[in-house]
Amino acid sequence: MDGRAMRLSRRFALGAALTVGVGFAGAVPAAELVIWHDLGDNGVNWFKEVAEHYRKVDPSVSITSVSFPTDQWFGKVIAALNTNTAPDLIFNNYERVIRIQTQTGKVMDLKAELPKEAGFLGPQDLQMATYKERMIIFPVQRVQMAFGARKSWLEKLGEPFPATWTDVLRVAAKFRDGDPDGNGKADTFGLALQAAKPRDLIHMLDLFTFGSGLSHTLVDPSGKVTLGEPCHKTVLVEFLKAFTDYGLVAPDTVNHSFGEMYQVIEGKRAGMFRVGDWNVRKWDTPEVLGGDFVIGTWPAFAPGDQTAVVIGGMRGVAVPENAPDRARSLAVAKFLLGPEAQKASLKYVGASVRSDFDMSDPGLSERRLQFAKPRHALEAYDFPESIHPWYPEVEAELHKRLLAAIAAPPEDWGAFVDQLAVEMQALVDAKRKA
Amino acid sequence: MGAAVAAWPALLRRERLFYALVLPFAALVLVFGLWPIVQSIQVAFTDSYTALSPEPVWVGLANFERVLADPYFRASLGRTLLYTAISVAVNIAFALAYALLLGGTLIGRGNGLFRLAVFLPVIAPDVAGFIVWKWMYNQSFGAVNTLLASLGLPPFGGIADPATVLPALVVAELWKHVGFYTIVFLTNMTLLDPALDEAARIDGAGRWQRFRHVVLPQLRPEILVNTVYAVIQFLKTFTVVVVMTKGGPNFQTNFVSYYAYQKFDEALYGEAAAMATVLFAIVIVLAYGLYAWGERGAPR
Repeated sequence: MDGRAMRLSRRFALGAALTVGVGFAGAVPAAELVIWHDLGDNGVNWFKEVAEHYRKVDPSVSITSVSFPTDQWFGKVIAALNTNTAPDLIFNNYERVIRIQTQTGKVMDLKAELPKEAGFLGPQDLQMATYKERMIIFPVQRVQMAFGARKSWLEKLGEPFPATWTDVLRVAAKFRDGDPDGNGKADTFGLALQAAKPRDLIHMLDLFTFGSGLSHTLVDPSGKVTLGEPCHKTVLVEFLKAFTDYGLVAPDTVNHSFGEMYQVIEGKRAGMFRVGDWNVRKWDTPEVLGGDFVIGTWPAFAPGDQTAVVIGGMRGVAVPENAPDRARSLAVAKFLLGPEAQKASLKYVGASVRSDFDMSDPGLSERRLQFAKPRHALEAYDFPESIHPWYPEVEAELHKRLLAAIAAPPEDWGAFVDQLAVEMQALVDAKRKA
Repeated sequence: MGAAVAAWPALLRRERLFYALVLPFAALVLVFGLWPIVQSIQVAFTDSYTALSPEPVWVGLANFERVLADPYFRASLGRTLLYTAISVAVNIAFALAYALLLGGTLIGRGNGLFRLAVFLPVIAPDVAGFIVWKWMYNQSFGAVNTLLASLGLPPFGGIADPATVLPALVVAELWKHVGFYTIVFLTNMTLLDPALDEAARIDGAGRWQRFRHVVLPQLRPEILVNTVYAVIQFLKTFTVVVVMTKGGPNFQTNFVSYYAYQKFDEALYGEAAAMATVLFAIVIVLAYGLYAWGERGAPR
């Protein structure tokens, strides 16, 4: 740990200890704080290491984390907060905590609690942590998603990493038809996408949209639908054609959600795919992809596009207003921004919000370092649900229309998108009036 | 009236062992069977955001109005009823055919093995079975299309094509459930009166006539039981959708149970419970209607 990090670490430790001290003057009884998250084993191991570090700051506190599948996490957190049986801390993506707040109104406003030393959080990070002027999470892990391609396949077919959509189309066709895995069978695909559940298809569209430098997938902050604008229209039409006219994905992709998409990627059947910062640790292992992939920005759809890796979210820690031991919960929440917890986060989860410490310590691979110390441009989601309360319903409707178009492709994609934009604008206007 | 009331304590005294034995199970049914149903119906009348709070906000029929106005729910209900009708007919017909085949003399040696084979899918884990079916329908390397290609036949769209997904699921669920209905038929076929068949045979009735006029009428109660059970089972179809199609492609298998589950997943508890309540009402009405119809037509 370098000197600055050490000083910051001490400040965080001191701050955390002070917070505990203010809440519990005098003898401090031992306490076990429980964190509910959905990070699986990676998260459990991360929190275990955090707990070990935190014990040095406050020996009276032990930290236990419990990981739930995401849908169960929602149900349990909403029920617990509404029935005053809340855990001490909850940890998840920003937009999921928004949903918890809208359904319970019991997520604490952390604005006044943000440590002054957290200067490593940029305005975008803080914006993503804020919902209706309340800081509902401390941002702890930026969720970055890059475009990835199989390295050995590119080398075999003599192709560089695709930088434009034209490159993607050419390379994807070669991946599909050129037997890049050399098994003599036509069992490979250009792209791994997903389209089964309402969020699946839009999520993939978001990545291509924001990755090509655009700022909104469906609607801008003023409520104007952007689908029909020339740049957006190009992305949407080409994205839909990947499923239909171009045939670049597995035919079963219409039934694919995250699990199936991962099977295609990890089964080594797709040449290009989304790479989340949390994927790299697993995909670097010999049993999965053995590090045989390169990552970069999403493709450009037009000359001059400022392509980027997408910040698709912000994972953070939230404190329920009815947490059993709020003072201690706050202290632990602050500790998650400290260098020990952040370093452990990089090590186990592959993401953090700070990089002001020795990166060689967690032993990150080149691909993990690309996320940990980004050298590429970053473009963040616009999180329209934090501005427009009706957005999830409108987005669900868009998903239905897009699925219908994939099932029965229109003759003229351009006309389809124009009409879709008009209809979605009418829906948005109706929702805004309501 | 007074005498009847006075007779109650005597009845309770006489049957006290019976009531003592029944009481724990009755309590279990009340607590774990009826109470959750009542709670679920109650949620259907509350605002989703407060449904799980100690003081839910009552919204009357608003959730039902919203659900019934949703074109995707109406389409979902239609698909569920269509899928149920096809699945019930196919399962009962195949089960009857299997039972006749396995209960007759056509298969001598190895009859036990065939009975075991037809029943094995029933006890196999649902998810594992449907994952295999999903693999078999895979458009890139699935067994179904490999077989069709080897026979020179065009490929089957399976679960990737909106036009073929319904029959694809019917077949997968037929494999899963037909064994249960077959065993019910087979068991009862051993109880048929052989004298009736013998008499018909002596009177010169052919194989089809004996089946139509001797066997089938005697199996009427089992056909009714199997049909009611199948209607209930297929109206609630869920696992096969979660594992194989996730409601797709293009909402063609977005059956009511799965749609309600999605609403739960979006924390729209009120709407989800309203959908579940509508489905529950349909199940009750159809099951009761079928029983009533079967009872009315039963030979006395």
